[in-house]
Amino acid sequence: MKKKKLVKFLVYLVFVLALILIVPSVTTGYSIMIVDVALLYFIAALGLSVMLGIGGQMTFAAVSFMGVGAFTSAQLSKYAHIPTSLSIILGILVAALFAFLIGLVLLRLKGPFFAFSTISLVQIMSNIFLNYEPLTGGARGIQSIPKLNLGVFSPNNLFGWFYLLIAVAIICGLIVERVRQTHLGRALSSVRDNEIAAMSLGVDVFKTKVVAFTIAGALAGLSGALYAHMSQYISQSLFTFNTSLTFIMMVMLGGVNSTVGTFFGALLVTMLPEWLRPLKQYLMIIYGVGIIFLMVYMPMGLAGVARSILTKCQRKKQQKGAEAANGYSK
Amino acid sequence: MAIQSENRPVLSLQGVCKAFGGIIVAEDISFDVSSCEMMGLIGPNGAGKTSLLNMISGIYSMDKGRIMFGDVDVSKAPAHKRARLGLARTFQAPRFLQRSNIRDNLLLGTDLADQYTFFQSFIGKKSKDFEEELSELMEIAGFTFDWDDLIAAFPYGRLKILEIVRAMLSKPRILLIDEPAAGLNDIEIGHAVALLKLATEKRGMGVVLIEHKMDMVMNNCHNIVVLNFGKVIAKGQPEMISKNKDVIEAYLGRGYDVAN
Ligand SMILES: Nc1ncnc2c1ncn2[C@@H]1O[C@H](COP(=O)(O)OP(=O)(O)OP(=O)(O)O)[C@@H](O)[C@H]1O
Ligand SMILES: [Mg+2]
Repeated sequence: MKKKKLVKFLVYLVFVLALILIVPSVTTGYSIMIVDVALLYFIAALGLSVMLGIGGQMTFAAVSFMGVGAFTSAQLSKYAHIPTSLSIILGILVAALFAFLIGLVLLRLKGPFFAFSTISLVQIMSNIFLNYEPLTGGARGIQSIPKLNLGVFSPNNLFGWFYLLIAVAIICGLIVERVRQTHLGRALSSVRDNEIAAMSLGVDVFKTKVVAFTIAGALAGLSGALYAHMSQYISQSLFTFNTSLTFIMMVMLGGVNSTVGTFFGALLVTMLPEWLRPLKQYLMIIYGVGIIFLMVYMPMGLAGVARSILTKCQRKKQQKGAEAANGYSK
Repeated sequence: MAIQSENRPVLSLQGVCKAFGGIIVAEDISFDVSSCEMMGLIGPNGAGKTSLLNMISGIYSMDKGRIMFGDVDVSKAPAHKRARLGLARTFQAPRFLQRSNIRDNLLLGTDLADQYTFFQSFIGKKSKDFEEELSELMEIAGFTFDWDDLIAAFPYGRLKILEIVRAMLSKPRILLIDEPAAGLNDIEIGHAVALLKLATEKRGMGVVLIEHKMDMVMNNCHNIVVLNFGKVIAKGQPEMISKNKDVIEAYLGRGYDVAN
């Protein structure tokens, strides 16, 4: 048991080291930006993984919280001259608070009704982002947002951002993994699988959902705030329903209940349009057909496929072991 | 060491009434359960036994009446609050997290015993106290498992027993058990009974046991409440119940022989 954990840890360590060493040397200014954006989207998609993967609650709202985090941090640092490190934290807090308040209202609805209500939220918020000029700069957006300055480390190009984002992504991933293994994760899974069992095991179903929604809001807010300072320009067009669909594709492709899966999902979904550039006109058709196949053949995404291959291998090994122990073989 | 039974009841139902449209499932039901007591709740199909359990645990609301848990009036308390006060239950058809492994399913029971907040649980280390208790319970339950086994891979009989184990891990004061013997073979029934006896005799829990298997109820319960069409038609010790004319007519008349 301990050994298995160690092996897992080493595999991840090697993977992360390889990523850090290889990616910057094989990418150019443009392609490293794609990777950076993928990492940012991963952080926001993690929130969806908590809500949908662990808690079974379909939500489209992440993109709105991302917008709230982005505009808050951009405004505070540009016009109120608050240091960027602080404005990002405030961006997270405002996004989390907003998610908490929205959650108190929308989570009174159940299942598909809740999911639909978050679609409306995204439409309302993207309209507010577009039309409320004092906050968002309207259609022109906000330009020349201050660069990120963390004191000890200030990324001054997209490669610097890559290192920073890898670190933030790992921390967020670890937090979500920890959630999965503690009371909140179990409570959420019980809400997902059997609300009545959850209640009779002392789980406050409503509160559990609200807490998860708030965490998802905080993660999306962080993602948005970082985005604002990385690209130094944000506008409403980033925070529309389409982006929301992208998050859902990432989580679905990677594996709805897997942090590592979500990472690969985020990477693939962000990169695919670049790889498939020659087929641009057909991109949406390819996506659509791809999603249908995904749902039919691998509903638990890449992580689900990996897991079933792994268990098959283990079973074979066990069988072989048992046969050897019994002194015969096929 | 047997824990002395208190005189004051832990669970007390006072005039509980409930109807679903025209169907009356509970009509002025009153009874008490004390710690260390195993109380049988019997009655023909559709008598309202499961509905009553649902009202006690807070899944259904009552139309009228009062439910006391110790000194606390829980009549209007939501289900999770009642659970946190020390009310655990199993279901006629076991309810588990189908997509989770055994670990998460059982730890939910211990979470209820610990009563940590999400944050405390996030930053703290889960105490391992329950492991000893679990191994004792599983010894009585009569099978072992791998922590990472998926719940969906378990046979029905084991799920029913595992649900009792999960409920006991939450260290409740009252344990509500809905038809534990249904779908179990005789050996498994023996294990289930042993678990319930441990709950009452060693852990001091009060147990409400719904069961159609008469010998299991007659041999193990201290008191029995008989329901028919939502009404209590008899209440008392097993010997009295098995001789009660109304009961025999409503229920035992289907061929149960007191002598065996
Ligand atoms: N949610 C509900 N809505 C409407 N009617 C219900 C509901 N729950 C139970 N009933 C009805 O109440 C009556 C009592 O049902 P209940 O499940 O309590 O019986 P029971 O004594 O547990 O029976 P069994 O031994 O078959 O489990 C039945 O007629 C049932 O159809
Ligand atoms: Mg029933």
